[in-house]
Amino acid sequence: MSRWQYFLRRVVLAVPVVFFAMSLVFLVIRAGPRDPVAAALGQNQNPEIAHRMRVQMGIINPDGTPVPLWEQYIDFMTDLVTLSLGQTWVINRGASVLDLIIARAPITIWLGFWSVLIALLIGIPLGFYAGLRPNTFPDYFASFGGIVWRAMPNFWLAIILSSVLVSSEGLTEDLIGVPLSWSDFLIETDVIGTASLANLGDPVSLIAAVKWILPPAIVLGSASMGNEMRIGRTAVLETINSAYVETARAKGLGRRVIVWKHVFRNALIPLVPVISSEAFVLIGGSVLVETVFAINGLGKLTFDAVKQGDLALAGGLLFVFAIFLQIVNIVQDLLYTLIDPRIGYDQS
Amino acid sequence: MSMHSHSPASVDRTDDALLTVENLQTSFFTDKETIRAVDSISFEIDRGETVGIVGESGSGKSVTARSIMGLIDAPGRVVGGSVRFNDAETVERLARQYPDRTIDVDELRTEHDVADCIEQLLEQGVSPAKLTDGEQDRSDVDPVELAREDIVTMRDLVERRFTDELGITEKSAFVVRDTDGGYVDATHASEDAFRKLRGRGISMIFQDPLTSLNPVYTVGNQIKEAIRLHQGLQGTEAHEEAIRLLEAVSIPDAHRRVDEYPHEFSGGMRQRAVIAMALACKPELLICDEPTTALDVTIQAQILELLMEIQDDRDLAIMFITHDMGVIAEIADQVNVMYAGELVEKAPVGALFDAPKHPYTQGLLESIPGRHPEEDRLRTIEGDVPTPNEQPTYCRFAPRCPEAFDACEVVHPENVGVGDAEHTAACLLYPEELPTDEALEQHRSLGATDGGDQR
Repeated sequence: MSRWQYFLRRVVLAVPVVFFAMSLVFLVIRAGPRDPVAAALGQNQNPEIAHRMRVQMGIINPDGTPVPLWEQYIDFMTDLVTLSLGQTWVINRGASVLDLIIARAPITIWLGFWSVLIALLIGIPLGFYAGLRPNTFPDYFASFGGIVWRAMPNFWLAIILSSVLVSSEGLTEDLIGVPLSWSDFLIETDVIGTASLANLGDPVSLIAAVKWILPPAIVLGSASMGNEMRIGRTAVLETINSAYVETARAKGLGRRVIVWKHVFRNALIPLVPVISSEAFVLIGGSVLVETVFAINGLGKLTFDAVKQGDLALAGGLLFVFAIFLQIVNIVQDLLYTLIDPRIGYDQS
Repeated sequence: MSMHSHSPASVDRTDDALLTVENLQTSFFTDKETIRAVDSISFEIDRGETVGIVGESGSGKSVTARSIMGLIDAPGRVVGGSVRFNDAETVERLARQYPDRTIDVDELRTEHDVADCIEQLLEQGVSPAKLTDGEQDRSDVDPVELAREDIVTMRDLVERRFTDELGITEKSAFVVRDTDGGYVDATHASEDAFRKLRGRGISMIFQDPLTSLNPVYTVGNQIKEAIRLHQGLQGTEAHEEAIRLLEAVSIPDAHRRVDEYPHEFSGGMRQRAVIAMALACKPELLICDEPTTALDVTIQAQILELLMEIQDDRDLAIMFITHDMGVIAEIADQVNVMYAGELVEKAPVGALFDAPKHPYTQGLLESIPGRHPEEDRLRTIEGDVPTPNEQPTYCRFAPRCPEAFDACEVVHPENVGVGDAEHTAACLLYPEELPTDEALEQHRSLGATDGGDQR
């Protein structure tokens, strides 16, 4: 089977995976202990309103008989396929779930983009640099740094970094005698809170948006950065000591060609799953980081929806996450297919 | 076997060998010890000749090859001796590229008097034995006589790098031009210059064809890389040349195969592709580091046949490393036997198999399967190759040697002639015609001269 057939097969296989994931989500939401009506109406609910709500949610028929679970399941899945994700009952009563997600998504995408970028642009080059100079001071420095970044839990780092930045003016005055305020640096921004991402085309607002996102993005990308650094270093070391690199040297190739052509591409192969697995860290981490930095993104929305029992919203978000992760998996397969010609199903 | 003819008018001795390895020493420096992986070995390879290097694992065969190629990485380093590559085209090419690092021996001859140089060196405390390469060891040698009798020539002084000590040549110079054939001193070449020597000039194929090709590029891509670098062909021309080379190493359907990846090739095919890649560099010398060890016997025979064919077609010199005496018998003209970093026996292949002199060689030959069909067990040499981690003042093979005697612990055996001129062995049992104490004395005095060379 050719590489591209392999890739197509991976794409097609993504559909049942999403289907299965959403079936689990359905079970957790509908068969779980949480009563969505109680979550929306509180303890002293009006029976009539509660009844209407249950009918609207498709939990009971108008005559008061419960809708069988399999019928609920079919409704739930049909709604997902047609993207009618319903409306929220708790967080923002009456608003469409889809609209809410679309409104909050840009901030999270912005955060995710920068955290991935920082990790990629710092972690991989640093790892490759260290790998090309093994057992030298720069290598030890970078490797130690990688372990430190990897070891700092992001909830802890988020709190420490935000509090340091908030009180940066006082701290620097005490330590070096010059008050340096992070908030006033370059452009005035808040450390905690959400900045506007409107008109990013304007350089000033672009800089403001980037400056605002950097601290949370560093926190979110820190672990991945450390991972990529360490795996990158190992991958380069392994590749550079391989027989084909020696053959390339014996051919008389220059060091630059050897590093960029022969080492680089092979060293990327073990990095692909490391990079893509960041996506999972990203979703879990964004919930934490957005909460600590009070960013109004999807992560915080998920946290609130789950905490307050807004099951329709939680279901919709999990659907979006499931699809996102499948896309990441497909991108990972695409990268594999592009980088490594050996990829395929029927390998001996 | 040389392609060069000596001009009778020439005063200097010329190396007619393509590659001359002299007192090559490569050590690995670890925290614990210094491992003398290659410990002062000398041999020559002529054009069109196959020189086999045999020995057990750990005897220093591969390190020798990598030292010649300049592929020794830290913590290893070539610490002494010289590797002289004597190919006119390569010398001219490198001399053009590195004019500042080129020594012109003719120029030196006109500018400096050899006798004066010798006198200066003697004054600097260089021993006469070292200066004359053991030919004269009296302390009262006459510089003028040495120069007049051509015992020491300018070429000798350059080859042994004495001219560096006199300050008339640069330490960094590595290209030597001379009227009849200069050479490239590989041990003095910079990494940059070595790269221009590698591939073109000297090419190498490695033991494991499964890992010698980069898995993420097509076979054609990797061959074309060498073609572009060493033959200057581009695009379609390079592609055609790659196909031609694959055909030359008997890969069927080369047009299709050229665009396939290494994993789509079988083991034998991959080794053929690696050979094609080496040939794409247009080398004069091909170093084969156990190229058939990872292959099964039928494929091994095919590859050996292919190598011999290629050698005939291109007048290629081959340095063939293996631990398989059977393979050596088949392919080699000259054989060097290595043990623990040292060359213990050197002979034409026929002489070595008919009359092995060194007990180690005898042991190796005895342990070829099928030599003693009447015995139930295969004969072996007891014990392992020791790690050569100190300057040898004894025979490194003595602990395993069936013929060892007391002197083996205290006298280091040097290579001495045994039988015909081209056959030498480093064993205290030789020269056979001398009584033991005289033989020992000869080894001692040779060691004293050689020892002076060792840094």
